[in-house]
Amino acid sequence: MTFDWAAVIAALPDLLQGLQLTLLIALAGLAGGIVLGILAGVALTYGGRLTVLPAQLYVALIRGTPIVVQVMFVYFALPIMMDIRISGISAAIITLVVNSGAYNAEIIRGALDGVPFGLREAGLAMGLPFRTVLLHVITPIAFRRALPAMGNQFVNLVKDTSIFLVIGVGELTRRGQEIMAANFRAVEIWTAVAIIYLLVISLLALGLRVLERRVRLP
Amino acid sequence: MSMIEFQQTSKHFGANVVLHPLDLAIERGEVAVIVGPSGSGKSTMLRCINGLEKISGGDLRVDNISVLGSARDVRRIRLEAGMVFQQFNLFPNLTAMQNVMFGPIRARRQTRAEAREIATALLHKVGLSERMHHYPSQLSGGQQQRVAIARALAVQPKLMLFDEPTSALDPELRQEVLKVMQTLASEGMTMVVVTHEMGFAQRVGSRLLFMEAGRMVHDGKPVEMLSTPPGERFRDFLQHVN
Repeated sequence: MTFDWAAVIAALPDLLQGLQLTLLIALAGLAGGIVLGILAGVALTYGGRLTVLPAQLYVALIRGTPIVVQVMFVYFALPIMMDIRISGISAAIITLVVNSGAYNAEIIRGALDGVPFGLREAGLAMGLPFRTVLLHVITPIAFRRALPAMGNQFVNLVKDTSIFLVIGVGELTRRGQEIMAANFRAVEIWTAVAIIYLLVISLLALGLRVLERRVRLP
Repeated sequence: MSMIEFQQTSKHFGANVVLHPLDLAIERGEVAVIVGPSGSGKSTMLRCINGLEKISGGDLRVDNISVLGSARDVRRIRLEAGMVFQQFNLFPNLTAMQNVMFGPIRARRQTRAEAREIATALLHKVGLSERMHHYPSQLSGGQQQRVAIARALAVQPKLMLFDEPTSALDPELRQEVLKVMQTLASEGMTMVVVTHEMGFAQRVGSRLLFMEAGRMVHDGKPVEMLSTPPGERFRDFLQHVN
């Protein structure tokens, strides 16, 4: 067979549009997932029974079910249960936030737990309230400890957006599928799609590596 | 009014009694050195003073504020009582300078400029002017502990608590830390020092307390207690540490 470059070039505008949506969903999921992950992670680490239990339940529920099932639930089941309408993009973002939040929570709990107890005591012994100690003593250390695992989670998150083709969200993978269904150039289209993902994720990985190096302690 | 007043203060972890009801007053300007075998409750007693351990019975007042008071009261006590730990516990992500500036900025709400002035003076005082932009990992144990002392002093405490400040140090690094502590004592700082350094107790201490199995067994002048040790257990203890 010959590799038909023209097919790739013709598909590119559509694919890049898909990429835009992929990035939008990923960024929203990333930001929301970080916020939710911090809340749940802090609850898991320092909470009383009233906050630990719901947080544990949340993490168990998300880790115990496939993300495809989660998005199906949000897109098809939730609207029926709550009598609301929800767009595919919203369902995708909600799913991603809730999903990555659970994984982030576990990473953050581990990072917070790993901060030497003596540092916390040193902060408290200065007369600081615990929230100040958490923010200014524990967090800077925990952040560095969490970074490698969080980076890994971010990479997974970008790739997880491809799952949303199942609810018809026109992200990169879905676009690829649609173009291929019209022109049958499977080799060209899936190669192009794969390379676009690879480029985005390489860029993200590079950014994470630079960040890790910049905050590394002597 | 005493600086620290133990009033029938007791502490237990579950069924394990760590501190039997204790009555003890430590006055302003005193340098109280607490010694005793490990597990005798010295560190726990010290940590009760600034509320890092909650007392189980009785009362404990620091500058007439009870450790049983509100969270705010406990924070006021901690502002007045600087603490130095066996393991230094410096913030590893901050330089020596930033470690010392931390308390003035966060706990005393002073400006960065004020904090820098305080930190510069204190690092000079503990002999680390040359090292102020080094991170803890780039300092020796003795230097780290001197930074930790400066960090505690920067909050402008009325008394200082030392929890085995030289126990994690190699013998040749201990003297530089003890010297800083001696200077502090000579300036009239009220100090409670848990240590095994009998030499320091004799030179610097105004009072020597011997603890065993959660009880304060002896309480006297260091020179007298060390020249004529009261009680067999204290004599045994001295032989072990020397």
